[in-house]
Amino acid sequence: MGHTILRAEKICFSYNGEAPTLKDISFSLHAGESLGVLGPNGGGKSTLMKIIAGLLSADSGDLFFDDKNLKDYQNYPYEKFSYVPQNSELNTILPVKVSEYMEFAKSLYKNISSTEVDELLELVGILHKKDSLISKLSGGEKQRVLLARALINRPKLLLLDEPTKGLDSNGQDQLLGIIEKIKSRDKTAVMIVDHNINQIIRNCHKILCLNRTYHWHDHRDLLTKNILEDVYHCEFEHLLIHENDLQNNTENSHSDHLYCNHDHDKTPDPHNLLRRKK
Amino acid sequence: MLFLHSLQDFLHYDFLLYAIVGTLFLSITCGLISPLLIARKNAFMGSAISHSTLLGLAIALSLFSAESSLAIFSTTLGITIICTLFLAFSTYRQKLPSDSLIGIFYTSTMALGIIIHSLFAKTKTDLLSFLFGNILLLTKEDLILSAVLLLVTLPLIIIPFKKWLFLTYDEEGAITSGVNAKFFHYLFFILLALLIVTSIKLAGTILIETLLLVPGFFALKFSKNVKQAFIMSVLFSTFFALLGIILANSYGLPSGATLAVTLFVALVLSLFLKKIYTFVRK
Repeated sequence: MGHTILRAEKICFSYNGEAPTLKDISFSLHAGESLGVLGPNGGGKSTLMKIIAGLLSADSGDLFFDDKNLKDYQNYPYEKFSYVPQNSELNTILPVKVSEYMEFAKSLYKNISSTEVDELLELVGILHKKDSLISKLSGGEKQRVLLARALINRPKLLLLDEPTKGLDSNGQDQLLGIIEKIKSRDKTAVMIVDHNINQIIRNCHKILCLNRTYHWHDHRDLLTKNILEDVYHCEFEHLLIHENDLQNNTENSHSDHLYCNHDHDKTPDPHNLLRRKK
Repeated sequence: MLFLHSLQDFLHYDFLLYAIVGTLFLSITCGLISPLLIARKNAFMGSAISHSTLLGLAIALSLFSAESSLAIFSTTLGITIICTLFLAFSTYRQKLPSDSLIGIFYTSTMALGIIIHSLFAKTKTDLLSFLFGNILLLTKEDLILSAVLLLVTLPLIIIPFKKWLFLTYDEEGAITSGVNAKFFHYLFFILLALLIVTSIKLAGTILIETLLLVPGFFALKFSKNVKQAFIMSVLFSTFFALLGIILANSYGLPSGATLAVTLFVALVLSLFLKKIYTFVRK
């Protein structure tokens, strides 16, 4: 096992003093390891990712990058990681080409040649689209571009927020395959937020199940059906329906979804909500 | 003939020469900022800053006579920058829509400006000249200020050009790559305030919006990549702003309004021609 790249201890966060979005969240991630973050919508997955990326500040708790407390860093250690937001966050007004976007990122670092940028684009399989507008690319291609940009500073830690969102199962497999390649090539630690339970379990060493104040974190082999039911406040059979919808990329339209009565988006206090059937 | 005569006027009369050179400087600067303003979705913010200049102007005209060009400029600029910093502070990375706050802010500052002007103005200068622009008011000092503005703005946009674009295109990606988003947010609004205050006499506090928005809108509609967008915006802005000023002089029309209409007509015509071209190609 490599050294600890990232450690979180008792992270708490709430938006504008409202009910806590995250409470006492702790986990660790080692070099070359991958951590999959699962949980329902509104469960705090992306919030946690943004706290680690420095886009939000935790109310309390400690974050350690390379075993050094964040409080001991003079500036936020952006050089330690790369963050890939959801591709929907890209500005759709500017006509940016793949090569131009890579140039933006390249300009921030010294000693990175154009050949290295091309190699990265080749690695993620998008070199042939170098001169295309990003807005004209498919969802999977956009994600690959975002991934290539994130790799430009050779990060020790890669933070990916729903990288497979909007991709069909083939696109998801391809993207996760690329991430796997990067992981084994550079010993990069990867933290992925995703809704696709199967994909996460298959591709990540560790799992963090998160639903606001409730969390579970351990090796994937220790994850059980009951833990998932607890986190999602939903019976496992329903989870499979969602899973099926996600695989087919039809989450909003699948009719079976209508039979699920549980509000996955609004679970202010999970412990007061329904428990699974015995 | 009238048009050619008008061109000769620009060489014979100092104030017209100032107007054409001032327009050139301002249109280049506006052309450069315009695509950023639109892509950053700050069009309404530009409007708020331009309207709040009236408060600064009213206070300046209460303290100094209308002829003290530099004193009026610095006072207006100082007050506008304070208003701008407040707006920038209130809108930095806010998830809530800030348009209501901007709307309230700019109408209130404008109203306050009108009251201050009516109560305390040393000379009851026609405020309409400042609202809609009047090239007859342009002085040599204004020209120097425009040139200084251009010299300040150009490097601040061009040197960190890729950072501006990275932030605009992928804000979170840029921040987590170490780009100081807060610094650029404030810098952008201060540049905008500088630009708006400098162009008050030429285009007016209300009509400067056209010069800030139309070139960028045109460029982003027609360009095939980012570099092209900025080049097209500067060329469009410069060409049609100069044409507007020449037309205003030829036909004795108000400068700000003619400039705004010229840019607007050019935009509408180009959109119309694009439609026809697309239709014919089909």
